[in-house]
Amino acid sequence: MFTIALKDIKQYFKDKTAVFLSLLLPIALITIFALMYGGIGKSEKSKAINLLFTDEDKTELSNEVFTTLDAEEGLKLEAKSFAEAESLIKKGKRTAVLVLYKGFQDSVEAGNKIPMELFYDEAKEIEMGLLQQALWSNLFGITMQKGIKGKVNTWIKEKNPDLSNSEIEDIQSQVAEQFDGFSNSNEQSEIEENSELPMTALVGEKKDGNLGLVQAIAGIAIMMLLFSVSASGASLLKEKEDGTFRRLLIAPVRPSGILYGKMLSTLFMAVLQLTVMFLYSWLVLGLDIFINLPALILMILCAAIACSSFGIFMASICKSRKQVESLSTLIILVISAIGGSMMPLFFMPAIMKKLAVVSVNYWAMEGFFDIFWRQLPLIDILPKMLILLGIGAVLTIISVISFKRNLLKMV
Amino acid sequence: MLLAKNLTKSYKELTALSDVNLSIEKGELYGMLGPNGAGKTTTISILSSLLKPDNGEIFYEGKNLYQNLAECKKLIGVVPQEIALYDDLSATENLKFWGTLYGIKGKNLQKKSDELLEFLGLADRKNHKIKTYSGGMKRRINIAAALLHDPKIVFMDEPTVGIDPQSRNLIFEVIEELHSRGLTMIYTTHYMEEAERLCDRIGIIDEGKIIAEGSLDELKTNSSIKEEIHLKYSNPNKNKLDQLTDRYKGQLLLNEDHLILSSSQANAELPELIQLCSKSELLLDKVDIRSLSLESIFLELTGKSLRD
Repeated sequence: MFTIALKDIKQYFKDKTAVFLSLLLPIALITIFALMYGGIGKSEKSKAINLLFTDEDKTELSNEVFTTLDAEEGLKLEAKSFAEAESLIKKGKRTAVLVLYKGFQDSVEAGNKIPMELFYDEAKEIEMGLLQQALWSNLFGITMQKGIKGKVNTWIKEKNPDLSNSEIEDIQSQVAEQFDGFSNSNEQSEIEENSELPMTALVGEKKDGNLGLVQAIAGIAIMMLLFSVSASGASLLKEKEDGTFRRLLIAPVRPSGILYGKMLSTLFMAVLQLTVMFLYSWLVLGLDIFINLPALILMILCAAIACSSFGIFMASICKSRKQVESLSTLIILVISAIGGSMMPLFFMPAIMKKLAVVSVNYWAMEGFFDIFWRQLPLIDILPKMLILLGIGAVLTIISVISFKRNLLKMV
Repeated sequence: MLLAKNLTKSYKELTALSDVNLSIEKGELYGMLGPNGAGKTTTISILSSLLKPDNGEIFYEGKNLYQNLAECKKLIGVVPQEIALYDDLSATENLKFWGTLYGIKGKNLQKKSDELLEFLGLADRKNHKIKTYSGGMKRRINIAAALLHDPKIVFMDEPTVGIDPQSRNLIFEVIEELHSRGLTMIYTTHYMEEAERLCDRIGIIDEGKIIAEGSLDELKTNSSIKEEIHLKYSNPNKNKLDQLTDRYKGQLLLNEDHLILSSSQANAELPELIQLCSKSELLLDKVDIRSLSLESIFLELTGKSLRD
């Protein structure tokens, strides 16, 4: 029994790469998931939600709102014009914009209905929940206080037109001390009504709630595609192990031709897999794939190019199929986690969102979100397609170099 | 047909080939005989352009291999030691794939493929996947893939490894038929019987060097050994064989139940040998004096057995 165990342990330690990967894989996943769930780095600032702020009133009070909200730990404010803010939200780059319209201060002070509005992306439900919490307490703190003051001011002036300003302020101070006394009064209800913040969805308001569907399809499709293309790319190493690679090299074929042939077949399989997945999603899950068909076709092609290049890249840097299997599992799980395939990105802390840009999954998923959720025109999706093609190009160049350096020397 | 001059190849500190020269005539079947690791596969890899030598030149029909790579590659067919085929494809699919790489297309490819499968006795299994084939059948289809483009010279790297005697005979017949059709072949093996049976000329290779070359008769004539004493015994006591091995160092091949002594004068040496066997407590069953084999020539040249 011990002899067998000892032999197995010896064999295990013989394959240094396998040992390394078997230890690295769980460590990497623990780290990634800890980051995803926000377990590392307790800084609240890193979890702050970006809120756009459009100030059309440009008064002392509107400025005070900006300063107060920005000082809140859970919020990070950015001043933008409404057009800029709208564009950022529609492109999925920001969650919401708080607009304070002209007359904001006057209305607050007069105790009238406050001209303000919150525009948001319905896709970012979780962020919106957190945002509302932070916004309500601070924004209403200001508007309620000012509103009450305005109401009291108006009332005192109506009732005692002969009082001086300093006398009015003195009365207001006394009223403020008795603030709790307003809690059940009609005045309080009226102020609350006036302080109501209308909310309008800029993205997703007309859609039939297919956000989860898009997340599931795009996330899983890309992750599974990466696994498939890795297996397909590994067939290059199978050729080497079976001896057919030597035979191919003896035939009148350029070595690069072998690599490009593999890339082409992997690309074909990637396109086929994505196409079948979207057709299935249309036929069975009800995803409207005709919403922007040219963009979908191009996006499938670009995602397939980036993913298939990843498959060939893995084959070209590894020395055996075993290595491809271990290393690609590690990389795919990591990039799928940080890229949003496993969990929507808006659940994740800011650092993870920043890391996501290194992932193929992220760009592919963002592209599919642009098509199905944000319903952007092709021109706005093109940058993401170009990034995917860029990833594909970089991985292909590295693959060609590694192929020449590694595989050709291993015959 | 093929001229190779001063081929040298090293891997770090290991010299795989050292100054190997070869001249193969058209229609010749040249055998390269040597133990495992002698440099046979390296030689074939270099001659078929798979590996670049550190030094040396190779010419096919007078054309330098590396200056006319594409043209020369079409003259070459290689039967690798491993079954270099796609297991999950049928024989026909495999042949069509390899044929297409050599520019054979359409009906011509179909015709060539059918002819070869018929020739190799695989026509009735042509649409079956390779993984369903026996070892011998796989070896034959491995040969077919190298012949599809009508090469002028075929390298066969130990094409009978791991198959049963019947399948081996079938392959010998195929090789003999190809030889009779005038195909030039280089055949590597570590089985002397194969080299003796098939080859016009034999090059004995060891530690990356060709140490002797010629027809079987020439090799025998040039050897100082003329005969072999084959002695069959039972109950060998391995601890008591030292006297024998010391006395006949570099001349003696000891096996489980028999020994072979290479000798220039068998009749004169026989009494002493029997006496030593008796001292070594070997119970003799049978004694034979046979003509010289390649095994003894190899032993004489290298001091070791072909199967070492």
